[in-house]
Amino acid sequence: MEEKIIAIAGNPNTGKTTIFNSLTETRQQVGNWPGVTVEKKEGYYIYKGIKFNLIDLPGTYTLTGESEDQKIAIDFLTQNKVDVLVIVANALQLERSLYFLILLSELQKNIIVDLNMVDLAEGEGIEYDIEHLEKLLKVKFVKTIGNKNIGIEDLKEEIYKKCKEPISEYFKFNYGDEIEKAINESGNIIEKLNPPYPVRFFALKILEKDEYFINYLRDRTDYETINNLILNLEKNYSKPIERVLIEKRYGVIHGVVKEATIEKKKELKLHITEKFDKILTDNFLGPLIFLIIMFIIFNFVFLFGNPFVNFLELILDKLKFVFLSINLPLWLTSLINDGIISGVGSVLLFIPNIFLFFFLFSILEDTGYMARAAIVADRLMHKIGLHGKSAIPMILGFGCNVPAIMGTRILENRRDKILTSFSTPFMSCSARLPVYLLFTGIFFRENQGIIVFSLYLLGIFVGILSIKIFGSIFFKGGSSPLIIELPPFRMPYWKSVLIESWIRTKSFLRKAGTIIFLGTLILWFLSYFPNPNNYGTELNFIGKIGKFISPLFRFSGFDFWQAGIALIFGIYAKELVVGTFGTVFGIENLQDTIRNYFTPISAYSFMIMSLLYMPCLATFLVLKKEIGIRWAFASLFWSLFVGWLFSTIFYQFFSFLKGG
Amino acid sequence: MEKLSEVKEGKYKVIDIIKHGKLKKLYNMGIFIGDIIEVIKSSPGPIIIKKGNITIGIGYGIAIDILVEKVD
Repeated sequence: MEEKIIAIAGNPNTGKTTIFNSLTETRQQVGNWPGVTVEKKEGYYIYKGIKFNLIDLPGTYTLTGESEDQKIAIDFLTQNKVDVLVIVANALQLERSLYFLILLSELQKNIIVDLNMVDLAEGEGIEYDIEHLEKLLKVKFVKTIGNKNIGIEDLKEEIYKKCKEPISEYFKFNYGDEIEKAINESGNIIEKLNPPYPVRFFALKILEKDEYFINYLRDRTDYETINNLILNLEKNYSKPIERVLIEKRYGVIHGVVKEATIEKKKELKLHITEKFDKILTDNFLGPLIFLIIMFIIFNFVFLFGNPFVNFLELILDKLKFVFLSINLPLWLTSLINDGIISGVGSVLLFIPNIFLFFFLFSILEDTGYMARAAIVADRLMHKIGLHGKSAIPMILGFGCNVPAIMGTRILENRRDKILTSFSTPFMSCSARLPVYLLFTGIFFRENQGIIVFSLYLLGIFVGILSIKIFGSIFFKGGSSPLIIELPPFRMPYWKSVLIESWIRTKSFLRKAGTIIFLGTLILWFLSYFPNPNNYGTELNFIGKIGKFISPLFRFSGFDFWQAGIALIFGIYAKELVVGTFGTVFGIENLQDTIRNYFTPISAYSFMIMSLLYMPCLATFLVLKKEIGIRWAFASLFWSLFVGWLFSTIFYQFFSFLKGG
Repeated sequence: MEKLSEVKEGKYKVIDIIKHGKLKKLYNMGIFIGDIIEVIKSSPGPIIIKKGNITIGIGYGIAIDILVEKVD
């Protein structure tokens, strides 16, 4: 089948994702661009016998080599054969979208502008003369209303037609004689280097003082000649030349938009958005609403998710029963039941919660609340060294770390994304709760609530500590100050929200599923051999490992092999810590046996360890996927270290107090 | 002339954006020197400004470098 490559670009908040989802539906894949933490979305659709492969480029306002996501867009567009570039424009903010169009035009691609959200613009009394825009800017315009699925077929048809055409004339912006001359002169120098970018585009980037392109030039040729050109220009304009360029572009756009606007009678305009904004970001009401929404999300994800989780658990149990009843060799039954079903099952159990989580997350994003939440949280987060947007993933970490870390994709800045992902595992997720409940139920019956709460606080404290330490070691400078667009409030497009949630859940499943399966086999092997009859006890490898590591916890108060094994299994998933104690101590007298092994002090110390070290294998895998293998391992070892450190300090301190 | 970080709600004209990097950021988002903006929410916390159909939340660290003048 004939295949075409279509790239989709656009400013944030233009409805680009909705358009992408409407075109590809569930035929999508999410991954990362090679070597970076920026998300890459691909998908395809078939139209008139041609397979159109879509690449969703990161949403940006401009096109500079200085930022990771924009560099990706530049490189993708210049180094690949792109048949059509679709720019999604927001009809409410046409000027800014056209500005982006002018920047992209310099890459000399076949461009279609998708004028999205035309209904919102019409609501404001604005309509555009499309033909006039097309004539002035020499590109095809298609009107769509993404969240109502209107115009999508037109868009497909125009993309199809455009693929058949050779690159027609493209819009070439005229910056005026003086600047054009400088562009040409620097172009002559650049051309000799044979760069993988269009020469005129490159020259413009140099005039804009784009660090990436300047360094590219510096490494290969004499930059001084061009620099003098720039200095001369700046002398004449008496302001930085990049500002002149931006102003010239906007000057022309302003004229174009004015000419093409058909002002209609304005409907009575109620400033609803403004009123909402005032309330949602109010210094008192804002945080309150924020907390209420978080509370609702929590309950929704877990209250609605848990029946499904229980149902899945039931199915897995039934499945185990089935394998028990058919007469397989003992080892195979154990491999399937204790290994595969328990291990892979522990990941499967995340699915309902993850799906619901992404469902709500997409709604918050689509309606525009997410940006308001970032404003509300900014003051507090700034003190920690992150900005407002980081608060959302971190708070959701109290539910489940896995989707929370996946949620860090809303952060554009690499530093913020890494530090947020890195500290999120310390937010005590719901899987740690069974461990607390077991131990507090035995040792701290009177003040169970306070004890559990103190562990949550300790998690937050260690999270902040980690940000401070790793932030200052690995990242120069603080967090970038917040600057965020507040999109108009709008209804989410349910189909797009569902597609979005499903694609993300699926991507988690596939990645986690394969590696968890492997991990499962290893752990099962260690638990089963060499004494198959004593699964997961001291007679087998796993017990020996437990025995081997237990001296590490000598000063933490729990240096016996049972605790060692429980902690090892806890790497799978924290719920297994409790389950493992059940296996090694025996379920009947679990409470009494634990009382024999632990004291209140060592029990609390053990809870600290359980709280702080890597929450589960799935978290580790998601960290690897989101911020890279090195940071994932850093997180693993750091969490083991702080867990050990805090539990030891705690145990020693209180043992000393008690003894003294 | 006041800093955007210090003003109350109301209409203002952008007189200058001091730091170059910040100017670039705001220009790319469609806010220019000479624009009339409306401050919807003032400090403490991020400042929210509006120009036409564009609403932007600006952290204190950026607002401190934006100079504005009250218009009636």
